[in-house]
Parts: sequence; structure tokens; C-alpha cells
Amino acid sequence: MTQRKRSFGSQSFSQNRRQPSSSGTQEDNEDSTFTQPSTSQVQRGLEKLTPAQVDQKTSEVIQYFLVKDQKKVPVRRADLVKHVVKDYRNIYPEIIKRAARTFEQVFGLKLVEIDPKNHTYILINNLEAADKPSPVECPANPKLGLLFVILGVTFMKGGVVRENVIWNTLKKLRVDSGEKHEEFGDVKRLVTEEFVRQRYLEYVRIPHTEPMEHEFRWGQRADMEVSKAKILEFMGQLHEQEPQIGRCWL
Amino acid sequence: MAQQTLRPTRSVCRTDTTTTIRAAGGRSGANTGTSSTPCSVSTSSCLLVYIIYKQVVHAAPHVDLFPTENREDMLSPSTDKLTEVLEEANKLFKDVRRAREAALDAQLLVVATDLGKEKASQLFSEGSAFDPTAFAEHLLSFMGLNRLEDGDGGPQNAGAADGYLPRDAWHRLSRRVECCFRTAPSFHYMMGSFHAEPPAPKQRTERQRKAPTKEAKRIMPTQLKKMEESHQEATEKEVERILGYLKTYHQDDPTSPISYYEFVVDPNSFARTVENIFHTSFLIRDGLARMYLDSDKLPCIAPVEEGDVEAASSSSRKQCIISISPKIWKELIDTFEIKDSIIQPPEPHNE
Repeated sequence: MTQRKRSFGSQSFSQNRRQPSSSGTQEDNEDSTFTQPSTSQVQRGLEKLTPAQVDQKTSEVIQYFLVKDQKKVPVRRADLVKHVVKDYRNIYPEIIKRAARTFEQVFGLKLVEIDPKNHTYILINNLEAADKPSPVECPANPKLGLLFVILGVTFMKGGVVRENVIWNTLKKLRVDSGEKHEEFGDVKRLVTEEFVRQRYLEYVRIPHTEPMEHEFRWGQRADMEVSKAKILEFMGQLHEQEPQIGRCWL
Repeated sequence: MAQQTLRPTRSVCRTDTTTTIRAAGGRSGANTGTSSTPCSVSTSSCLLVYIIYKQVVHAAPHVDLFPTENREDMLSPSTDKLTEVLEEANKLFKDVRRAREAALDAQLLVVATDLGKEKASQLFSEGSAFDPTAFAEHLLSFMGLNRLEDGDGGPQNAGAADGYLPRDAWHRLSRRVECCFRTAPSFHYMMGSFHAEPPAPKQRTERQRKAPTKEAKRIMPTQLKKMEESHQEATEKEVERILGYLKTYHQDDPTSPISYYEFVVDPNSFARTVENIFHTSFLIRDGLARMYLDSDKLPCIAPVEEGDVEAASSSSRKQCIISISPKIWKELIDTFEIKDSIIQPPEPHNE
């Protein structure tokens, strides 16, 4: 291309991001106004701007991500471009690349594109989780326990499970989807809406069922964030506690 | 004809799924023969095929081909009902001549493959001995369930099966499973949450503007009060002082009248003169002094005797306005040859 050698290959996240812009239309309505700029376009854009400006814009993108991550809802590229990147959209790939590098080096987080089609991003922890719970007494979010139960059962049932199985299991744990739980509130809404929006779970309708039934699967975020090995390890420990119920289930 | 290919399943079950695949394969075989030949067989046989199709799938007049009861039968691993249905449908397909029947056949195949997939996944999960109930029991123990042996839990445990969960049960579990998650820690500003720009500055400026005005208002009344008091005090004191001068001057020579101008004019200061006129007017207003014109038609002032005060107040009062300018003041000084002021200027104490 040009004399200057720039590595635009983004190794830290999924490969199919660098598509030179030939056709205009993208998938979403809002996204249709944004086409991924080509490498030469990015280079030309960078030449017009000072490094300080690019750094400033990168910092804004990073702050946007960090704040949006509080709710654990994935960030869409369309929103990012509309609210933060704005006029710098012609150097968008470079900004994202720098932001990802900063996340890794400064914060120990990883910027992952979980949906290459719709271009949504999440942040996950790049550091390996400690083997045992941290010695610091920080309050854990109880929703994590609930999520773990659902993910664990789904995993042990082969990755897909009907919703009845989950509701029955939860009922045994004194969590009734029909009643208001003192810790979680509206459990059904939490599980079928919030966890799904955060991409921890997928709640899909089973076709040809009357009345309508759904099944649960692991979501894209769960695939990235949750370690199946550790889940199995914990399950093993649980079973070891009650050796008289000797079920061999691996 | 629309052929529904079976999506690959994770199962290794061979009975029903392979039958479905064979059936699908069989379709394509039979298809080549009946592509677009017009219906040459009699109407009655077409109708028969249609009716049998409907019977085979126990269809209601609307789209639902597999009502729920039959669905459970189909899915149960013990029966081969799904296979039977497919084989029956396979046989019938040879007689299909009309597009409507072929469409029905296609619909059947769609549903059958979905059922087949479900059946396959069911078989897989039953192969593993994971029991969610046992899992739930273990979790309850981990979360610290207090199992009560004698059932003397009391009325609050009427709903619970046995025992009750401590309040931090879910927290305990969450702490233990935290290590399974590689969640990014949430980022919060130390000084508060993040809002979009417009509201914050407006509030700040409004508050800033409000604060000084309030303070200013608060300061103002106290200041005014002070001023007024001192003003009033000063005036009253002055008036009393002048009354003293007047009385003294009068006592010196009760018979000769005191010229007004000589009394008020201060040859050294015009401002003092005006003040003296001002204070003297209070005396006259309060009836403590009176003014009158002497034989030369010049104003004179005299204090009112103690006894005459009440009488004076009942009599008719006259009002007049006195004006003075520096020029007139100078003329007065020259005319009356005023050398000193009768009313001494006050000491500068609270000025």
C-alpha cells in the first residue's frame, strides 16, 4: 500500500473485523451509515490529526466502555460511533486497536467482539481468576450465584436445557419464578431479560410448542467469561461433601 | 419440493434419527418421478390420500400438526411412534399428486425433524447421570441450610420443605463461584456517577447564583437596621442637644428674641447649617420650640415653656418650607455678621 509500515492486523480480538469498505450497506439500520474504513483511509485520516487528538479520542472511547460496562450490557459499535467517535470515524479501526491495547496493558481487561455480525463488544478480565476466593471481604453479588446455578445445570445437560428444568431446580433452592424473591425480586425477569441482555444466557423459543416454551443456552458472554473447568471443579467438590450419594457423572 | 435437511446433532442415537434421514433421502428419490405431472388420477383417490395424511398426523384443521399429547408420545424414548409416522408418510407420498398434499408432506417433514432432534438430545442427556435435584440438595447444604430434625420450626417454616436458608446463603455461594467468572470489575468514579454533560453545569451555575444573593439579602437587613438605629439615635441626640442650646441661650436673656438665622447658621460650614435647620425643624414639629416673626418680619425662634406644650399642640399649626443655598448662606453671614455658631458642631464619634 504505502511506504509506512503499520500493523493494522488486530490480533487481540476476532479476525473478521478488518473488512475493506467496498459495499455500503451493513446489517443494522443505524449501522448502515457506518462502513468500516479501509486501511488507506485510516492512514490518510491519521495524517490529518495530531497524536494528541487521537489519544484524546481513544481515552474517551475507553471511558465510555468502562462506564457502560457497569451494567454489563454489551456496547454496540453504532452507539460508540454515534456518541463518542463522531467525526473521527474514518480512523475508527485505529482507535479501537489502541483502546484494546490500553485495556490490556493498563487495566488488565480484554476488549472482545462477541458478535461479529452486529459488532458488539464486551470487556472481560484478562487476568486469571484466583484459585480460591479472595482473602479480602468484599461483598459478592448474589446474582452471580443464581447465574452459576443456571449455567451449571445447562452445561451439565449438554448446553441446552428446557426452561422447566431450570425453574424446577430453582424451586428446590427456594427461588420461585412465580413469586417475588427477597434477594432477587422478580426472578423470571432477572433470568429471562437481564441475564439475556447481558449475554450470559440465551432464551430461545422452542418451535412448534403450544403453549410457548423456551430453552436456555449459554450466552456469548458466558462463553468468554466463564470457565467450564472451574464449574466442574466446584461441582466435584460439592459432591465430595456428600459421598454417600455416589453418582459418577463425568 | 422443500426438503428439510436434518441439522447435525450431538447424539449417537441411531434408531429414530437415521430413519428420519432415510426418509428424507427417500423423498428425494420419489421426487424425481412426480415433479410436475398434472393430476391424472381420479379425484376420489387424491381426496383419500389427503384424508389419510391428516389421519396419520392426527392433525386438526389448523396448522398444528402435533398436538401436545401426541408430542409427548412421539418424544418418549420408549416408543417408536415417530418412526412409524414417518414410515406411514413415506408410503403415502407415492400417491401424492397435488401440490397441497406435497406441501402438507413438507410440513410434516419439518415437524418430524424437529422432533427427531429433540428426541436425540433427550437421549444424550439421559445418558449422563446428572440429576438436577441432587445438585440442588448439595447446593443447599453448601449454602448452610439448617435442617431441623424435629419439625419444631414454627409457623414461619410452614412453606419450607425442611429447614430454612440463612440470609447470606446466596452471598456465600456467589463468593465461592466468583473464581469461575472472569468478569471485568465494574468501574465507578470515586466522586460520583457519570451523567451526560448538560444537567450538571446548569445546576451548578444556578446554585452559585442563588447563594450570593441570599447572603447579600441576609447581610442587608442587619446593616440597614444598624444604620437606621444609629441614624435615629444621632438625630434624636442632635435634636436634644440643639434644644439644650436653645434653652440655654434663651435663659441667658429671656426677653430678647433669638434670631432664627443667627441660631442655625454656622459660618464655618454650609453643611452644618443645613443640618442645624433640619434638627431645628424637629423641635418645631414636636412643639418644643416655636417660630414667629418679629417686628422686622424676621423669623425668631423661642423654646416653648413646659406648661405651654399642650396648649401649643392644640392650636392650629402652620407649615412652611425653608430652603437655603450656599449663596444665601453667605449673604446671611454677611448680613447678620455671624462670627460664631451658636450650635456647636458635634464631636465626631460614630460617624
